[in-house]
Amino acid sequence: MSEFKLTTVEEFEAATNRLLETGAKVGADAWQFRVKNQTPHCKFGEQGICCRICSMGPCRITPKAPRGICGCDAHGIVGRNFLRFTAGGAATHSDHGREICITLGHAKEGGDYQVKDPEKLIRIAKEWGVETEGKDIYDLAHEMSDLAQEEYGKIRGISRWLKRAPQHTQDLWHEAGIEPRAIDREVSCALHMTHMGNTCKPEALIRQALRNGLSDGWGGSMCGTEFSDVLFGTPKPIETEANLGVMNAENVNIVVHGHDPSLSEMICEVADSKEMIDYAKSMGAKGITISGVCCTSNEVAMRRGIPMAGNFLQQENVVLTGACEAIVVDVQCIFPALGPLSKCFHTKFITTSPICQMPDSEFIEFSAGAAGEKARQIVKLACENFKNRKPDLVYIPDMKQKATVGYSVEAIVKTLDGVTNSQVDETGTTKPLLECITSGVIRGAVAMVGCNNPKIRPDSAHIELMKKLLANDIVIIASGCSAQAAAKAGLMDKAAKDLCGAGLKRVCELADIPPVLHMGSCVDISRMLILASELAKDSGLNISQLPVVGCAPEWMSEKAVSIGNYVVATGLDTFLGVDPYVSGSDQVAGLLTEGVRDWVEAAYTVEKDIDKLGDLMIERIEEKRAALGI
Amino acid sequence: MTLFDRVFGGNDAVYGLTEGAIDGAIAQYGEDKAVSFPNTAYSLPCYYAVTGTKVTTLKELKEALGVVKTLMTREKRLNDAFMSGVATALCAEFIEVLKYIDGATPYEEPCYGHLADAVIRELGVPLVTGDIPGVAVILGAAPTTEEGVALVKSYQAQGILVTLVGGIIDQVAEAGMKTGANVRVIPLGKDVTAVIHVVSVALRAALIFGNVKPGDAGTLMKYTMDRVPAFVNAFKPLDDVIVACGAGAIALGFPVVTNETENIFRVPKSLIVQEDVSKFNATSLEARDIKIKITNIDIPVAFASAFEGEIIRRKDMQVEFDGSRVDCAELVQTCDASEIEDHKITVVGPEVDDMELGSKNSIAYVVKVAGKNMQADFEPVIERKFHNYINCIEGVYHTGQRDMQRIRISIEAFNAGFKIKHIGEVLYASVKNEFDAVVDKCEVVIYTDPAECTRIRHEVAIPTFDKRDERLDTLTDESVDVYYSCILCQAFSPSHVCVVTPERLGLCGAVSWLDAKATHQLDPNGPCQIITKERPIDENLGSYEDVDEAVQKFSQGALEHVTLYSIMQDPMTSCGCFECICGIEPFSNGVVIANREYAGMTPLGMTFPEMASMTGGGVQTPGFMGHGKHFISSKKFMKAEGGIERIVWMPKELKEFVAERLNKTAQELYGIENFTDMIGDETVAEDPETLVAFLTEKGHPALGMDPMM
Repeated sequence: MSEFKLTTVEEFEAATNRLLETGAKVGADAWQFRVKNQTPHCKFGEQGICCRICSMGPCRITPKAPRGICGCDAHGIVGRNFLRFTAGGAATHSDHGREICITLGHAKEGGDYQVKDPEKLIRIAKEWGVETEGKDIYDLAHEMSDLAQEEYGKIRGISRWLKRAPQHTQDLWHEAGIEPRAIDREVSCALHMTHMGNTCKPEALIRQALRNGLSDGWGGSMCGTEFSDVLFGTPKPIETEANLGVMNAENVNIVVHGHDPSLSEMICEVADSKEMIDYAKSMGAKGITISGVCCTSNEVAMRRGIPMAGNFLQQENVVLTGACEAIVVDVQCIFPALGPLSKCFHTKFITTSPICQMPDSEFIEFSAGAAGEKARQIVKLACENFKNRKPDLVYIPDMKQKATVGYSVEAIVKTLDGVTNSQVDETGTTKPLLECITSGVIRGAVAMVGCNNPKIRPDSAHIELMKKLLANDIVIIASGCSAQAAAKAGLMDKAAKDLCGAGLKRVCELADIPPVLHMGSCVDISRMLILASELAKDSGLNISQLPVVGCAPEWMSEKAVSIGNYVVATGLDTFLGVDPYVSGSDQVAGLLTEGVRDWVEAAYTVEKDIDKLGDLMIERIEEKRAALGI
Repeated sequence: MTLFDRVFGGNDAVYGLTEGAIDGAIAQYGEDKAVSFPNTAYSLPCYYAVTGTKVTTLKELKEALGVVKTLMTREKRLNDAFMSGVATALCAEFIEVLKYIDGATPYEEPCYGHLADAVIRELGVPLVTGDIPGVAVILGAAPTTEEGVALVKSYQAQGILVTLVGGIIDQVAEAGMKTGANVRVIPLGKDVTAVIHVVSVALRAALIFGNVKPGDAGTLMKYTMDRVPAFVNAFKPLDDVIVACGAGAIALGFPVVTNETENIFRVPKSLIVQEDVSKFNATSLEARDIKIKITNIDIPVAFASAFEGEIIRRKDMQVEFDGSRVDCAELVQTCDASEIEDHKITVVGPEVDDMELGSKNSIAYVVKVAGKNMQADFEPVIERKFHNYINCIEGVYHTGQRDMQRIRISIEAFNAGFKIKHIGEVLYASVKNEFDAVVDKCEVVIYTDPAECTRIRHEVAIPTFDKRDERLDTLTDESVDVYYSCILCQAFSPSHVCVVTPERLGLCGAVSWLDAKATHQLDPNGPCQIITKERPIDENLGSYEDVDEAVQKFSQGALEHVTLYSIMQDPMTSCGCFECICGIEPFSNGVVIANREYAGMTPLGMTFPEMASMTGGGVQTPGFMGHGKHFISSKKFMKAEGGIERIVWMPKELKEFVAERLNKTAQELYGIENFTDMIGDETVAEDPETLVAFLTEKGHPALGMDPMM
């Protein structure tokens, strides 16, 4: 009856191989080849026992040389490296958040940037104790922009966002001494602590890693998500498509890549104008297709239904189609390889942010003040490049899936309202979801997040784990490249309900949702924190008691470690498929996988056998259920 | 204890009971003893629907129990709970069927127990039209009799079919409430296992209308969830067995609303705790997404489709109007808009108060309508609905039509303040409501003055009826330019399409060509669409390229070809709610027709339900075809195979019903007088040999015709 069929990883790979053939014709390099060149990886690096913090070294720990020159042991080195890794990620997310706060300051009536969700702005302002009555929405936006930026450097107090957490969670943070202060301060503090001649006590380093993570999740990232919603609208369910087949051979293809929606939103806005569409037509194209890669794609998919061309390890593929007029990037996760690769085709590789400057790219600096003008410049450039396309190099794999995306916390609550009964239930809560969980109809929830990593067959861990969890009546919320893997496979098509156990299938039918809910970009994992908090508050349980866990099976970036730390510190057990360079110290690994549980009631589990990782998550969820007697 | 523990525990308990009961029955009767429910072609209906295997003996029942056991898995997943719920239901069916051993009649008034296939086929049309907007299953005893009765009445007033199991039955009886299929309140039985009799209705509906393949449990459950608007109201205390039954109901897509608060879990849209019984109705309708079409009519008694089947006995009657004894008439008249004052209701003659208790009186009502899109052809369409409208009044009963209607007003309705003018209110509101696309203004004049009634009947009504009959006589398949499709039943039977022509009305008997035309006019994008007939392929078969294209389109490709006049080659499909079914009788080269009401055996060795199970669900089964009663006397009835000459057997009641018209057709087509005398019935033969002997004696023409296959 249904023609729905998942796209398999094998089919992904076949399409990639076909594209690599095109690449071979033009002498293009690709990550697949560079992985081979880089393998085997440095064992000291992998175990986290190489220290190059000062110029006495680098020191590497071996049984014969158990301490570095300064006397630091493996535990200190692994712990410092882990904290620095965290600080890198926290700084990255948080600085992205700051850019959004700055953009908010540029919002004006009729301007390039406007307040699209004034209600949300007012709600946040009230949370922060800001007077909203009778205030012009833009005056309020500018005031909030300043206040939010002050969060990065405030001289006293802790993050304003922490109050959104259940009291119990706030108490745990207080007792553990890990409430984040000013966002930038926690990064500085982490770098300071790990400077030569400072902390080498694992417990203190991990404590700061959690705190720095929290300054991201409950600080910078939350600023990023919340004020993006204020500026660009809070996502609600919307139909889109995913995988390379969304590119259109007859149109000017512009691919947005990176993380910051300030750029991509503006490109979408401009490309949708009659002026630009006519311009594209005048250049011989039928129109303009915008598609995305990585999290900036998630941002515009969630709010505009812009299709997703692919995730992290597919970024070179979009150029290899030979049909990409411009790949426009903002920040984070951009392969420097795109520069040389674009030179093999007609593709314009356009960098836009001072944060992300690369050789072999055209740098068109994007600024909130001149956003529309820069976007027009970029889109025009892409249109003009259409005629340079080499037709014999054009091959777009005919592969895409339907997806329903846009599940912000607000949208999830609204969806849940749809299954309430007005005769007995209140609306505006997560209670219907809790009822599904306590009754056992759904066993629990898993937050699937994170990147791709060549150490794992790309997307396979995301997809296989999801399939396993769905079959076991476990609902999935997803973000980042994990969400895109799900969308490419077809798991965000509502028809994917048929892959679920009877319970989750029924829930999908009644609520009219796909079984994997797209919650946004990696910064949007802050949404998941809020959802967990709401579930805890609505149920009267602690977050750690909920049968909910987090999972990043293919993670690779520093941001992912920062995320892991704040998710664990929020009370959610987190399952990793790639080791975070801590195997060199049993003390650090022990703290992360067990010790931190004493502080925050949750910890990491690392398991490289992906199938087993799935079993462990299901086991943990069932343990939590048993403890609650449900 | 978790919800799953309760479901599993309840399931285990029922399984144990069932095993004991079957073993006991085997010990008593031996394992070859036959088991079956009466009047169904799907024995045992639930088990057959779920597994695709029929059970006929105790031995097979025991084997079936082994299959049921395999459903009782104990993983903590909803599928296991669902399947355990289904297993519990199947066990209930086994326990119930044991009660019927040796043709026993285990249920007595007011309880029904097992419901016949015919009941389900009758439910088809009202369910798809929304006339029955839902099916309530009430289980257990309400906190008080008053609350229980109020709940049942609230559903009844909405037209919802109510089935009762357990303590609520006594409560309803105690309150003296009338029950029965005719008033849509059906007490099933007092044991909880009796609930299976309504589950059986839902599952057979899937087989009959949905063409669900027996044994395809997934499609079966999807059908019931998507298309059977049932829900459960279970009163506390809920024991584990009821919880397990509830899991079965939820598996089928039927939400459970309960006032139980102890040891219960809530599941959105599925298991809903509502402590206030007075809100059960609203909670249930919302949970099952049932919308009640509200017709607010200002009359002192209830107005609901549930009362359509209500019968007023002579002793309960205040007054009656009887067209067979005195002058009566009912008529729709198209007028100019300027002649009509909208919503004006005039009574000319005495009111009910002025009539003697138990008296027989005259009545004639003329409903004047005006509208830009009104056509004279729609008059009889609207008029025929009067029967439903007046019957839906609580305490008022209507039969017949034109100048032969009979109306009774009950003492109860009279005491509640019901007047003649309220009939006008009902006619006005219903016509305006249902025919709003063609009727802009409507005025009702009701005559009870005998002289006026005589005038209206003879000077106005009869000439109009005569004119219409002339028009109908000239209305043949050849004389019209278009036919109509009718897919009203697709809500229930997704691949069935009726092709309605002047000489072949819809198989449900409810949609004539004029009805279809009016329906199309009322709702141009609705269930009745124009089918052109410009490209005939074979006029004798009644095959047209246009018709084929239409059925392909409207059946979403499930059907490719349909002929209008053959039962052997691409016969028209059935949804399942057909009035009659005909099937070939090879010994006589003829066909046997059985009507839904007929409960006995036919010479085909099959009962109506068994014949009916050969078709339905939008499937073509050459040699079998569902149709309406009036089609029997049509010149187009299986014309391709020789026409009505082929009819060799009909139940007596049906034969008498169609005799006049059928004889007329036979006279016109073949010059045969009193053709129905040649046709057998159950008093003549229920087996082919006796039938052929009878036909030979009568010289039935079919015997000399070519074999049909």
